[in-house]
Amino acid sequence: MIQILIQGLLLSGLYALIAVGFTLIFSVGRVLNLAYASYLMVGGYIYFYVVQTQGMPKIVGMVVAVLMGCLMGMLMYRAMVKPLKGDHVAVEISTLILAVVIQAGIVLLFNDSAKILHPILPGVWHVGGATVTLNILTATVVSWLILGGLYWFVRKTHTGRAMQAVSMDAKGATVCGVDADRINLITWGISGGLGALAGVFFASYTQLSPNMWVTPLIIAVAVVIVGGIGSIVGTLIVAHIIGFMEIISTTLIAAELRGVFTMLLIIGVLIISPKGLFGREELG
Amino acid sequence: MTGISWRHVALWAVFIIFMLLLPEMVSKGTLRTVIFANFLAIFAISWDVISGRTGYISFGHPFLIGIGAYTTAILSYRFGMPVGLSIPLAVCVTMVAGTLFFLPALRVKGSYFALVTLAFMELMYQLVQVIRPDLTGGTRGMSGVTTLARGAVNNYYLSFGLMIVIAVSMWVLMKTRFGTALSAIGMNEESVRGSGLSTTRLKLFAFMVSAMVAGLGGAFYVHYLGSIAPRALFDINFVFTIIVAVLIGGASTIVGPMLGAFFLTFLLEYLRPYLPGAERYFIYGSIALVIYMYQPKGLYEIVMQQWRKYRVVKAGET
Amino acid sequence: MVSKLKIMLIAFALSFTATHAGADGVKVGFIGSLSSDAGRSALRGAQIAIDELNAAGGFNGKPIEYVQADTGEDVTEGIKAYEYLAETEEVDFILSGSIDDVSLGWMPRMKEYRIPTLDTWTSYIGIIDMIIEDYEGMETYFMNVASDEALATLYVDFGKDILAKKMGWDSVVVLQEDTAFGGAINGLVSQLLAPEAGIEIVDTIVYDIATVDFAPIFSRAVDTGADFIYIISSVNSQVVSSQYSKLQVPKAMTGVNVAALGQEYWEDTGGAGGGISTLSPVPSVGFALDPASAKFAETYAKRYGSSRPKFPHFNGFNAYWGVKQAFAAAEDAGGFSADKWPKEMLKQDIKLEKDGELWLRYAFWQPGEVEERTGRTYPHNIKFDITPPYDNGAPAMVVIQWYEDGTTAVIYPPKYATGEFSVPSWVK
Repeated sequence: MIQILIQGLLLSGLYALIAVGFTLIFSVGRVLNLAYASYLMVGGYIYFYVVQTQGMPKIVGMVVAVLMGCLMGMLMYRAMVKPLKGDHVAVEISTLILAVVIQAGIVLLFNDSAKILHPILPGVWHVGGATVTLNILTATVVSWLILGGLYWFVRKTHTGRAMQAVSMDAKGATVCGVDADRINLITWGISGGLGALAGVFFASYTQLSPNMWVTPLIIAVAVVIVGGIGSIVGTLIVAHIIGFMEIISTTLIAAELRGVFTMLLIIGVLIISPKGLFGREELG
Repeated sequence: MTGISWRHVALWAVFIIFMLLLPEMVSKGTLRTVIFANFLAIFAISWDVISGRTGYISFGHPFLIGIGAYTTAILSYRFGMPVGLSIPLAVCVTMVAGTLFFLPALRVKGSYFALVTLAFMELMYQLVQVIRPDLTGGTRGMSGVTTLARGAVNNYYLSFGLMIVIAVSMWVLMKTRFGTALSAIGMNEESVRGSGLSTTRLKLFAFMVSAMVAGLGGAFYVHYLGSIAPRALFDINFVFTIIVAVLIGGASTIVGPMLGAFFLTFLLEYLRPYLPGAERYFIYGSIALVIYMYQPKGLYEIVMQQWRKYRVVKAGET
Repeated sequence: MVSKLKIMLIAFALSFTATHAGADGVKVGFIGSLSSDAGRSALRGAQIAIDELNAAGGFNGKPIEYVQADTGEDVTEGIKAYEYLAETEEVDFILSGSIDDVSLGWMPRMKEYRIPTLDTWTSYIGIIDMIIEDYEGMETYFMNVASDEALATLYVDFGKDILAKKMGWDSVVVLQEDTAFGGAINGLVSQLLAPEAGIEIVDTIVYDIATVDFAPIFSRAVDTGADFIYIISSVNSQVVSSQYSKLQVPKAMTGVNVAALGQEYWEDTGGAGGGISTLSPVPSVGFALDPASAKFAETYAKRYGSSRPKFPHFNGFNAYWGVKQAFAAAEDAGGFSADKWPKEMLKQDIKLEKDGELWLRYAFWQPGEVEERTGRTYPHNIKFDITPPYDNGAPAMVVIQWYEDGTTAVIYPPKYATGEFSVPSWVK
C-alpha cells in the first residue's frame, strides 16, 4: 500500500512536470501546441549529446537543453504562431506538421534506435518496501519547485500578472497597456524551457527515441483536458489522478490496460464536464 | 440545387476521361502510387466533410477508417464471410461508430474536440491489441485478407471508380442546402442556430456521411492492401497525412482534398530515388509545412489566384 | 491553347515514366528500414555480397544492380516500398530486413508478384505457417533466421541446464510485453518450462509497451517471491533493462531483450544495461566466428566502421550468405524465375566449420521434412538444430550475457559458450 503511494507520488510529479508547459501555452495563447512534446524530445537529445557524447558536466547539459528549448519556443512563436494571427486550427496543424518534421530530423541525426540517459542523480533509496531511484525523486522535487515557482510568478510578478491578464482577455489587456505580443513571446519561451527540462527528466527515466514525443503529448493532453484550461492547481491535481490511476492499474488490475484507463478518463470527463474538472478561463 | 453549371460537368468529364486513359500513358509503378493517392483522397474527402467544413477538427479519423477496415477484415478473414456482405456491414458498423463518436462532439468544441478524438484513436489502438487478439491479430494484425482485384491496372480502376463516385456524390451533396449550411456552421455556428436550423441534426448527418465514406474507404483499402496492422492505421502519422492532404489541397472543397492527396503521395514517392533514407520524410514534412504556412487555404487557392490573375490579364488585353 | 494543353499532357505523362533503366542485367532490391540498425545490417551485408559477386564477373557476365526501398518501419510504407521494387524498379530478387508487421504487410504483394524474396530479420512462426497452408502461393519466400518457436524450445533447455541445475532456481515470474511476439514466446516457454525444466511459473505480468514507469511492475514481480524474472521484450526494450539496473531490482533477469542484440547496446544505454542476459539468433554479439564469417565481419568493419551499426547484427550475416545462396540458386535455375528458382534455393547448403566442427549452416528445411523434437515442419525456414551436439545445423539461438563492464559472451549452449552466466552485483 505504502509502495503504491510512493510510486504514485513520484510518477505524478514527473507527469505534472511534463504537463505544466503545455498548460501554460494553452491558457495564455489559447492554442494547442502539438509540437510541445518535441521540446521534450529535443531537450533530451541535446542533453544526451552534450553530456554523454561530448562528456561535459550534467549541469551544462541541462542548461544548454533548457536554453535551446526556450529558443525553440520563442522561434516557434515568432515564425509560426504570430504570422498565423491566432487562427487556432492553423496553429494546431502547423505545430503537428512541425512535430513530424522534428521527428524525421531526429532520425536523421541520431538514428532510429533508442538511447538511454544516465540517471541525473544515480543511486536508489529503499523506503517502505519500495525502491525509489534518486533520479525520479529529483524529478518530482524539481517538478514541485517549478509548479510552486510558476504559481508565485503568475500571481506576484508584474510579468506574471500580465500573463494572467492576457489569458483572460487578450484585447482587454492590450487596451490596459500590456504588450500582449511580448507576453506571448515570454510564455512560449518559458514553455519551451520547461518542456526541455521535463524532457531531460522524462528521458532519463525512460529512453530517447524518435517517437518518444507521442506518450508525453498524450499525458500532457490528458492532464490539460481533465484539469481544465489554465489551472496550475488543476494540473497538479490531475497529474496525480492520472499518475495514481496508472500505478494502481498496473499493480492491482492489469498492466496491459495501463493506457486504456487514461483514454477512458479523458473521454469520460469531457462528455460529463466539457471544461474539465477544474475548468476556469484565466491562468492562476 | 444551385451552382452546377455545364462547365462544371465538362470539367469533371475531362478529368474522368483523362484518368480512364491514364493506364495507357504511365507505368505500372506509377499506377500503384495513384492507387494510394486515390485512397488518401477518399479519406481526405471524408475528413473534410466533418472537419474542413464545420471547423470541428478531428484528430481521430483513423478511428473510423480503422473500424471499417477491421470489421470487414475480421468478417472475411476469420469467418469466411463473402466480401459482398462484409463490406456493407463494415460501412454500417462504421456509421454506428461515427454516431458514438459524435456524442462527445455535441458537448465539446474547438481544440477540446480535437483532443477527444485523439483520445478515441489512442483508445482504439490500445483496445485492438488487448481485446480478442485472436480476432484482430493483436499487434501483428492480419495478413492475407482477400483482395478484390489483381494487378496494378485492375486495382487502379477499382480505386479510381470508388474515389470518383464518392468525390462526385460529395460534390453534388455539398452543392445542396445541406452543404451550404455545413459551411455556415464552420463560419458561425450561433447564427446558423439563430436562423432556425437544427445544428445538432446537421452535424449528426455530417458525421454519418463522413463515417460512411471513411468506412467505405477503409473497407476497400484493407481489401486492396491484403493486410492490416494496428500500427499502420491508428497512428499519428496517418492522421497527419490525411489532415495535411486536405489542408494543403484546400479545405471545404472537394477538388482540394483530391489535389492535396495526389500532391502528397507523389511528393513522397518521387523523393524516393533521390533521398532513399530518413531524409525523405524530413524534406516531405518541410515542404508541407512551408506550403501550409505560405497559404493555409491550400493549393486550390493558389491555383485559383493564378487563374483569376490570368483572367484579369486576359480581360485587360481585349 | 490546345497545343499548350497537349504539351503539358505529354510532359506530365513523360514525367511518370522516366525512372526505369535497362532491364538487361539482374537487379536486387532491398526492403527494410534504412535508419535502423537491423535494416542497415542487412542492407550492408547484401551490398558486400553483391560487390564480391560483381568482382567475380557478376551474373551471366553482367554486373548485378542493387536498389533500395526504405520502409521507415512503417507498415503502409513497406507495402509501397515492395510495389516500388516490383513495378518501378522491376527487380529480380528482394532481400528483406523488415520487422514482423512490415513483412506481414507486404506478404500479399509477394504472393501476387511471385518475386523471390528472402527475409533475414523477422522470425515469426506465423509466416512459416502461411507457407505450410499455401505452399504454391508462398513458394518464392525464404526466411534464413530460425523461427521463434525454435528459439523458445532451445530456451527451455537453457532453463533446465543452467537456471534449474546450476543456479538451483525452481520458480519464475514472467514479464511479457503486450505484443504478438511476446504472447507467442510466452505461450511456448510457459508450456514447456514446468514439465521440461521443472521451473514453476508463479505469475505472469503482461505490460503495455508504452509503459513509462516499471517500478510498480518490478515491485509486483519481486513480491511474487519467484527466483528470477523472465523478460520478453522486443519493443522499447532499453527502457526495461535500464530501469531494471537503475532500480537495482534484487532479482536476476533473463529472457528476450531485443535491444541487447547489437554491439551498440552498450553505447545506447550509456553503460547502464549490464547484468542482463538475452537469447539471440546466431551469430550474435560475443559469438566466436568461423573463419569465413570472420572474414565477412572484417570486411564489414573496414568498410562501415565509421557509422552505426559498426558491427553487423545477426541478420547482416544472414543477408551476406543469403544473397550468395540466392545467386548460386539462380545460376542453377538459369535466373530468378518463380518456378525454378525456389527449387534450386532449397538445395543450397553452406556449411561453415570452425576447428573441424560444424559451426554455422545456411540450408533450408524441405517441405514436409519434420523436425523431430517439435514434431512439425518448417518449410523454407533456415535449417536450425535444437538438439545437442548441434551437428546438423547451427543452434536456433544462443544465450548471450552482458556483463557490467560492457563485455559480452555467449553462455549457452555449452558448445558455443565463451563465458559464464552471471547475475548483477546488486542481486544477492
